[in-house]
Amino acid sequence: MIDWAAFLVVAVAALVSSAVVVSLYSLGLRLLTTAGRIPMVEPAEFTGAITVLSPARAAKDAKRARKALKANPLTADQKRLALYAGYLCFALCGLIVLYGVYLIVPALHR
Amino acid sequence: MDFTLIVALVIALALIFDFTNGFHDTANAMATPIATGAMKPKVAVGVAAVLNLVGAFLSTEVARTVSGGIIKEGDGGIQITPEMIFAGLIGAIVWNLITWLRGLPSSSSHALFGGLIGATVIGVGAQAVAFDVVLAKVILPALIAPITVGIVAFLATRLAYAITRRDAGRPDGRGGFRYAQIFSSSLVALSHGTNDAQKTMGVITLTLIAGGYQAVGSGPQFWVVACCALAIAIGTYTGGWRIILTMGRGLTEIKPAQGFAAETSTAATILASSHLGFALSTTQVASGSVIGSGLGRRGSTVRWGMAGQIALGWLLTLPASAIMGAFAAGLALLGPIGILLDVVIGTVVVYVLFQWSKRDRISHDNLHDIDDAGHVVKIKKTPRKPSRKDRAKVAL
Repeated sequence: MIDWAAFLVVAVAALVSSAVVVSLYSLGLRLLTTAGRIPMVEPAEFTGAITVLSPARAAKDAKRARKALKANPLTADQKRLALYAGYLCFALCGLIVLYGVYLIVPALHR
Repeated sequence: MDFTLIVALVIALALIFDFTNGFHDTANAMATPIATGAMKPKVAVGVAAVLNLVGAFLSTEVARTVSGGIIKEGDGGIQITPEMIFAGLIGAIVWNLITWLRGLPSSSSHALFGGLIGATVIGVGAQAVAFDVVLAKVILPALIAPITVGIVAFLATRLAYAITRRDAGRPDGRGGFRYAQIFSSSLVALSHGTNDAQKTMGVITLTLIAGGYQAVGSGPQFWVVACCALAIAIGTYTGGWRIILTMGRGLTEIKPAQGFAAETSTAATILASSHLGFALSTTQVASGSVIGSGLGRRGSTVRWGMAGQIALGWLLTLPASAIMGAFAAGLALLGPIGILLDVVIGTVVVYVLFQWSKRDRISHDNLHDIDDAGHVVKIKKTPRKPSRKDRAKVAL
């Protein structure tokens, strides 16, 4: 019959690892925006899932964002700290993904 | 019929099946990054093809245990003949093409198992199929896996949105998830290569062993690995655009944070399961996580009609390919003429399906123009004036 123990292990492992990876990357993004370095990644191609705004409206939004950034209460040191912490989060995230690749290749861990 | 000829036929068919497997499953890894604009469609399928090629060489673990005991082959048990493998492959290929035409992400491994089971039942008898193993290794995981991974993706999406929530009117930087998507979807493609190309290698190796060309219990030979890797890579690059459209847009509208959460859950589940020796269908895992991430974002809707169609496709995959495999096996039992008939009928069916697909061609260049892919996508007739809420979306 079905191996329930193996199934449970897979479910828990998947849940924990994806929660950790997603949390780390999200935290990295959050810290970057806190530091005032907002990662603006334009889509490579505009698809149906992306709301396209007129240039005027986009400019207005950008202005609003700049204003909000100026109101950042953090000092320069705090911002730098947030930035480095953000990079640390991305690095940890990358390491976990590399561990995933390591798991795929049996030649590496036999 | 000459034994070497049938072996050659099986190898050719296995490679064709590998090709359909590749283009059927491009969507698993690349539908979400294409939908969110993380990668251009052509670039995305190119990356997926290369990683599938690399992945096929990295691990041959799955190939060694391909039929997983479903068909009791080998000494003591009932010998499966190359003719039966041949018939099973025909059933699997035809079912893969039918589901592709409907844009349904169905499991290629289930099609393969179904075809082999059907062919074995007709060719050898029902006692040759280990139905308890089929239930434990194929049917139950197919029911449980999508739901589990859906819950994982739901929670991951919730986390991503909660952590990056906007404060003090500052943009949330969620566009940054697009970078992450490139890596997470690549990981899915790589793990797909280590899994799915292996099944074809296993089939070819099984045939070579049955034909006495290779020692019992030995692994796949290098040329087999190379041919399978190439076939799946070319298939992936060709891209099953219909299925990409269904997975990327048909189930729910995906935003970068959702895409990243879905891909990470997919990759984590596949890696965990194949590392712990628990076989899951890549396709079902990927579909489950897309639905989970659709439920995880507030304000997004899941098109349950489409999800139901996909689930129906999953239910049908095993019996339908089994029936086709059984039919092909019945013909193959007639001897050389039956095999020839199989080849002719198979070629005609494949040709007709391809002609059919030309009536509404979907490809990388018109992927985003197709708002009216019939049942797949809901159509927004007139775009309304952007509201305050829409403007807030720009930072996504």
